[in-house]
Amino acid sequence: MNNKKQKDCFFCVNQLDVDYKDVRTLRRFINFYMKILPGDRTGICSWHQRKLTQAIKRARVMALLAPTHK
Amino acid sequence: MSKSKASGPSRYELLFIVPNNYTEDEAKTIITKVEAIVTEQGATIAFREFWGKKKLAYIIKQNHYGYYSLCEFDAEREAIAKIDRTLRLSKEVLRHQIISIPVVTEVERAKTKEKQEQASAKNDKKEEKPVKEKMSKPGISAPRAEKNESNKADLKDLDEKLEGILNAKDLL
Repeated sequence: MNNKKQKDCFFCVNQLDVDYKDVRTLRRFINFYMKILPGDRTGICSWHQRKLTQAIKRARVMALLAPTHK
Repeated sequence: MSKSKASGPSRYELLFIVPNNYTEDEAKTIITKVEAIVTEQGATIAFREFWGKKKLAYIIKQNHYGYYSLCEFDAEREAIAKIDRTLRLSKEVLRHQIISIPVVTEVERAKTKEKQEQASAKNDKKEEKPVKEKMSKPGISAPRAEKNESNKADLKDLDEKLEGILNAKDLL
């Protein structure tokens, strides 16, 4: 049973590339505990979801995003 | 990545952090040093951007703040390993990251920035709406929301105070 609504991919709709320096956008796809949200929650297409996880991890390395909440 | 692509020089992006124990002028001289390291390996710098002093998301080697600098350059594949090694050994660079990127013109860069801002502005509006709807509902939900808001305000004040204390420690 497919109860979850299919959302439009944020990056496809806005014709944006995933950028690890754009923290404001990445924040949308992280929960309170700074965990990366799964693809069915974010509604992002699988191609962009893979790019997104990579970008979030890169942002964490450069201390642009915290790996956990306080 | 096809094999034929690896033969010529390709575009790379270097983001690095200079620790906060230097002044801004000192940090800028360090940035020119780092750029010299990059150009020594036969790379040509295509774009540079100084982000200024920013708060780190977590403490790195007892540093709360750092100067971020971005640098895009064209280089051979072999040069990257050498640049990476020299930056890793230098104490003046707190952290750095080199990634390969597609070549972007100035016009395209400006466009993507605009798009990013537009997209994030749209989302901010979307996020605000449901909160307002909840607030307007009569009955028990309204006072609860108010309580939450006051709590949030307290937390914000606390955060600001904490930051002030941390800054003072940095100065000492």
